Amino acid sequence: MMPAYYLEAAVVILGLVLMVMEAFVEKADKSLIAKMGIVGLLVVLVSLFFVSGPAEGDDAPIWSFYAVDPMALFYKGFALVTTILVLIMSLDYRSVLQHYMGADQEKPGAGIGEFHYLPLFTCAGLMWMASAKDIVSIFVALELVTISFYVLVAFMRRNVGSLEAGVKYLILGALSTGFFVYGLTWLFGLSGETELSKIAAALGNDDSAMVRYPKALLFSLAMILVGLGFKIAAVPFQIWVPDVYQGAPTPITAFLSVGSKAAGFVVGYRIMEPFFANHVAPQLVTLILAISGATILLGNLAAVAQENFKRLLAYSSISHAGFLLLALGCSSSTTSPVNVEGVMALYLGGYLAMTLVAFHVMCLVRAQLGSEDLSAYKGLSKRSPFLAGVLLVAMISLAGVPFTAGFIGKMYVFLMALQSRYFVIIALAVVGVGAGFYYYLKVVRAMYWDDAADDQSVQISTLSKVAMLTMVALIVILGIYPTPILNLFAA
Amino acid sequence: MELLFYLFSAVMILFGLGVVVSRNPVTSALCLVMSFVGLACLFIQLDAFFIGIIQILVYAGAVMVLFLFIIMLLDLKAEEGRQINYLALAGGLILCLVFVVQLGSVLTSFEAGDVGKTPQQPEMTTDKNPEGLSELAMERMAEKKLPDVHLVGWTLFTKYNFPLQVVAVLLLVSTIGVVLLSKRKLT
Repeated sequence: MMPAYYLEAAVVILGLVLMVMEAFVEKADKSLIAKMGIVGLLVVLVSLFFVSGPAEGDDAPIWSFYAVDPMALFYKGFALVTTILVLIMSLDYRSVLQHYMGADQEKPGAGIGEFHYLPLFTCAGLMWMASAKDIVSIFVALELVTISFYVLVAFMRRNVGSLEAGVKYLILGALSTGFFVYGLTWLFGLSGETELSKIAAALGNDDSAMVRYPKALLFSLAMILVGLGFKIAAVPFQIWVPDVYQGAPTPITAFLSVGSKAAGFVVGYRIMEPFFANHVAPQLVTLILAISGATILLGNLAAVAQENFKRLLAYSSISHAGFLLLALGCSSSTTSPVNVEGVMALYLGGYLAMTLVAFHVMCLVRAQLGSEDLSAYKGLSKRSPFLAGVLLVAMISLAGVPFTAGFIGKMYVFLMALQSRYFVIIALAVVGVGAGFYYYLKVVRAMYWDDAADDQSVQISTLSKVAMLTMVALIVILGIYPTPILNLFAA
Repeated sequence: MELLFYLFSAVMILFGLGVVVSRNPVTSALCLVMSFVGLACLFIQLDAFFIGIIQILVYAGAVMVLFLFIIMLLDLKAEEGRQINYLALAGGLILCLVFVVQLGSVLTSFEAGDVGKTPQQPEMTTDKNPEGLSELAMERMAEKKLPDVHLVGWTLFTKYNFPLQVVAVLLLVSTIGVVLLSKRKLT
């Protein structure tokens, strides 16, 4: 057994080693960097099962910033799996990157190495976010993630779309950070504490300024919600999402839509949790539910009209944030045996698998057929039955067909919302799911019923095949047997 | 003292507005310097002398000089008068108004003079020697002086050591990013 913070240290050191290797090993094949990263992260993923929290009587300062609980460990694994798949995708996406990097003619691979090791630092940031239990560590970890994303989103620097996405993400990201910090300072000012557990303890004390000034507390929580709303892409803070998702390199889009969103939800849950059993709970829940309803509705309805697959998935990502917010909104009222942490983890686990498969297929199609429009997917079943098959599973899972992870996640969210009697939001969510069926199956129709313009086939490497098959297996297994994840969080 | 607080706050807000409103980048940058000076004065009023001086040395000094260098090197001209989108302007103003009203109602809900629980400050006594704090700092505290450079450094490297390491990774990532995105030709 080793202390849990060795994991992040290992990921950062791996990143540093690869960075130095990239700089000093002149002739190294750049794909080697990604492959070493994948192997290293797999080792870290395995060692995740052999870590421990603070020993009895160990009061090193780090433990006041760093939580080791099922939630932290689950989302550390989540971040690692996401990063591994993003690295595999970035191998498939290299030809597109090379085209837009503006590298020296003699060294066509220049700049690609960075694309392979920077995600490791993002991964470390995501893992720190999963463990963060102090306002200070939440903020620094969040900033590490956001700043590395600023770089990665604008990575294709000779591509106008990527640069535009980078600028938009930078400006709106900075704005949202401003709101987030402002909310945190109010929380600190009212409680006098930065550690979340101490803030929660102070809530029980009637003398605390948080109890005596509910208005100020709500203001602070609202600001924090605004800041996190940008990160998880909730309406009305979703304006940046379609453009940034479309412009960013596809592996990074996948990383943004899975890693960044999950980390945002962990942080949101950790900050909000104490307030759900408190005097401000009714207002807080109303606020979250209003955002959730708007997000589900807008995300799904706007996706219907999209002709670009990447934009379609961007709106789909918005709508899933809405369902997750609905789960969060049930925190104060649900009485079922499954708890909110479990349902959120289950939903996000399924979301990881299906979204990453969809983006992986998109990487391959973009690199080999040169387009991200839905029209490029016409007749994909003839070009590559394998790709069409895995994308089919991902799409029906995203839509929520039974026996898939997407269905189980949505079902538990609906069950909790029913128990909490949020009938208006449920009605909105049903409309959203209905619209979802239409636009997800539009992709399926294009793949299987329409004819391809030419007979070019799509090549898939063994590594990518294994990765996609693993995710498809995950979708099916979680769809039939979700108990392990739910048990992980059972009290 | 209260008068000084309002004075420096007004300086900060006015020059902050100047940063946004001014169309000339050099004017904006210099307004930002003045806004930082106002902020530094506020820190000094709160007895945070070290932070106040750092605010001037690092932000108003180093960072702003860098900004000015960049503005000069890129030869940025004053922004052309552009078409104002009145709908967006109205929307922005309404949002600001809502925010200000909200903030006002929160602020007026406080009882006058009720400061609540203030954040903990290190004990100013010499009875217990905090682990690792230097002799010099202890002597200063015994003389009822505030050795805040020592205290800031000590707190940063003991209790806040973990976030500090995370910030180190953050700075590394941003350095790589800047080189990568701005280099003319990658080799």
